[in-house]
Amino acid sequence: MSDQIPTGQMLPADPAASAAGGRGGPRPRLSVRMSARDLLNTAVFAVIFMVAIWAVGMLGVISPLVWLITTPLQILAGGIPFMLLLTRVKHAGMVTLFSVVLALFFLFSGNSPVSTAGIILLGAVADLICWLGRYRSKWAAIWSCTVFGLGFLTPFLPLFIDRQAYFASATWETMGEDYIAATDQLLTAPVLGILAAAVAVTGFAAGLLGSAVLRKHFIRAGLA
Amino acid sequence: MPDALNPGLRGLDPRTGLALVVLVSAAVMSPTGLRFVPAAVALGAGLAVAERAWRRGGGLVLAAAGLWLGGWPLPAAWPGAVTAVVALACQFTIRLVACVGVGWHVIGQSSPTAMSAALRAWRAPRAIAVTLAVMLRFFPVVVGEARAVADAMRLRGLAGGRGLLRHPWLSLERFAVPMTAASLRATEDLSASAALRGLGSRRRPTAMFPLRFGAADLMLALAVAALAAASLAASALLAPWWLA
Repeated sequence: MSDQIPTGQMLPADPAASAAGGRGGPRPRLSVRMSARDLLNTAVFAVIFMVAIWAVGMLGVISPLVWLITTPLQILAGGIPFMLLLTRVKHAGMVTLFSVVLALFFLFSGNSPVSTAGIILLGAVADLICWLGRYRSKWAAIWSCTVFGLGFLTPFLPLFIDRQAYFASATWETMGEDYIAATDQLLTAPVLGILAAAVAVTGFAAGLLGSAVLRKHFIRAGLA
Repeated sequence: MPDALNPGLRGLDPRTGLALVVLVSAAVMSPTGLRFVPAAVALGAGLAVAERAWRRGGGLVLAAAGLWLGGWPLPAAWPGAVTAVVALACQFTIRLVACVGVGWHVIGQSSPTAMSAALRAWRAPRAIAVTLAVMLRFFPVVVGEARAVADAMRLRGLAGGRGLLRHPWLSLERFAVPMTAASLRATEDLSASAALRGLGSRRRPTAMFPLRFGAADLMLALAVAALAAASLAASALLAPWWLA
């Protein structure tokens, strides 16, 4: 980690926030009352987050298997705007709002309700982690990014919930019991757990990458 | 994007579009939701054709057809481990494509004012309604910046999936940093303008075109009901012919 960022702290968006939200300062009050500036910041970063992951995810259109490969890259790409957003968060609720609007936007563009609920829940947990770090702790931000990154797993949840429907078709019956049994093993809870662990590791890496990019580019440019 | 003063999509109340995409997503993503996929694809293609979005409609049908081939006829013709995994992936992705086909239409045809009015009519919290509306407003700006960065990378031979997979960290940094920085700078003026015009105000704004359900909404509801009934009947009578 660079010497430019004090250990365990992130540079705030403005000096006033630094004075108000220092490590020894009072814990920010849990509030959902947002100023117009908070709403605009949340909206802008939500769009940047979506475009960043969408640009990387477009490679997955080539085939569903490439989609699995691009998912970790999407998490890494999303880590940069997410970490940048956290430097502008001044009170509780903004990360939750960020996850709610993202989840609703994805829902209105075709995502499943299960995934929507999962993203909102993970966003609330990520907000709680940031709150515990008084919205100024770099490591709290990285762990928050890790938890929020698990949201990338949620679009796959219907695959696990409705697993029997996939094997009920005549096509699978022609492939034989062995293939059905082997493929069915791919959709079990342990496999889901392994996937979640892989996504969490990638989310942690995204937090580290976002933090490094903040230090390397955005703080110097006065954008963080 | 539609005319900013046009409250809906060619006569449709924006609430109808939002409810439609949630309904389609809930049906297609539910257990046994595969039976609704052809109806959802037909609905998405029909909405695209109604808006004369030929590329979107054609792309949706082609994508669904390709996934159907990979999900059903392909493993039936060549049973094997690889085709089994491909089939599973295609069978899952075709559901997403069906939902996204309807969702992209609604998102693409909703103006920020219409979205904001619809969410206010549903008494959505101010923070959510305003933020979603602002997202719609900023989307073209950020997409434009992302395209400019991608073009610049392509000119220098840095773009493409091969480079991304070989040097993921470097590629992400080269794309995400200028895109984010340029977007933030471009949105500064828009943010100031929006705030000056009262965006985010706690007072309830008046609507230039009050929302109202009309004949177009009724026709769409009837079409959706007919497609759903046809899907249920087909799955019961024909033992999902398209899954065979």
